[in-house]
Amino acid sequence: MKLTLAVLVAAGLLLLAGSATAHHSFSAEFDATKPVKLTGSVTKFEWTNPHAWIYIDAKDESGNVANWGFELAAASGLMRSGWTRLTLKAGDVVTIEGTRAKNGSNNANAQTVTLASTGKKLFAGANDQAQQP
Amino acid sequence: MKGLFTVVVSAAIVAALSVSVSAQWPSYPRPGIPKGADGKPNLRAPAPRTPDGKPDLSGIWMRTNRTEAPGTAPAGQPPLATFGDIGYGFKEGLPYRPLAVDLVKTRAGALDNPDALCLPQGPLEYHLDPQPREIIQLPQKIVIVYESNYGIRTIYTDGRRLPPQGEPQPYWHGYSVGRWEGDTLVVQSNNFRGALTGLPGDGWLDGKGDPFTDALTLTERFRRVNFGNLQIDVTIDDPKAYTRPFTVRVEQEIVADGSEMIEFICHENQKFLKLTGREP
Repeated sequence: MKLTLAVLVAAGLLLLAGSATAHHSFSAEFDATKPVKLTGSVTKFEWTNPHAWIYIDAKDESGNVANWGFELAAASGLMRSGWTRLTLKAGDVVTIEGTRAKNGSNNANAQTVTLASTGKKLFAGANDQAQQP
Repeated sequence: MKGLFTVVVSAAIVAALSVSVSAQWPSYPRPGIPKGADGKPNLRAPAPRTPDGKPDLSGIWMRTNRTEAPGTAPAGQPPLATFGDIGYGFKEGLPYRPLAVDLVKTRAGALDNPDALCLPQGPLEYHLDPQPREIIQLPQKIVIVYESNYGIRTIYTDGRRLPPQGEPQPYWHGYSVGRWEGDTLVVQSNNFRGALTGLPGDGWLDGKGDPFTDALTLTERFRRVNFGNLQIDVTIDDPKAYTRPFTVRVEQEIVADGSEMIEFICHENQKFLKLTGREP
């Protein structure tokens, strides 16, 4: 049973992933060898194109709180994956997994966003890696 | 019992997923979509036709996510192109001239990809972008509206000929005329801007930076295989950049769930230049 559920959920995520669209040159902006996972409180949610952005206050390795920006897919692509402009609001606590910016700034490309209140994991789909060089 | 539980849970998950996908997007299923016995769109039904008997290519189309390993295209079929690399299917790579070799090297960081700069994409980027495009087939012309990056393209099907190269000013989308060969729409385009302008974003066929120049003649063969599937075989003939013409295939699927194109204003919140250190 658990396996069936896992398979179904995985299939669902794959479907969503397929429809979440990408826009920009991932490799120009982000370093695929530098994954990042941060938990923090949303300070701003920009529901925009060519990419939506989430800003969170999160603790870094040394315990200092810093504001981080995470690039998501285009708002249009996120809509096709089930997001809306109301999916996140300031104050929501989220855990975001992604890839750090090449320029060393507190910016990253988000792959998944998990809402602490519900445990719901959202595919952020900021890039179309399947068809990128 | 366990089986029933599985079915119920599966149905609930499927329902939850479909609601989350469609509820955000006003759905308005188009009339005339063929349905199967299960009531769902029958994508394998015959392609619709216009009153003059030609296949009707109209509809909203998404590229498929199918890829082929290099060198595995079935005999007689062009290899599938990908958004990032249209030459992905060629084991030996594309037939570059030295100009193309140099351009691809220069473009290795993908900093001037028109897609990333919110400029009009190259002709293959438009076909392969994961955002949809809508084909509107009219009696004298076909208009394609691309959701990504402000793409609007007119293909004249009123019998006019392709103008001489360089006669109209070169366009981002070139100048396109189309004619029917049986059930295949053959579109030829020239008068493209191209890599030799030296301006950022000009002359990119894909995310890797495979170039085209103002010498490009593009031939696209559109074939609506059935209701749900469109095949576009694209021939790149650009003697300045390539030693010989080559052809790649693009596959697209119809959007039949009643969903529409979504507004995409690329410069609304553009941070690419900032993130790549070219803007404060």
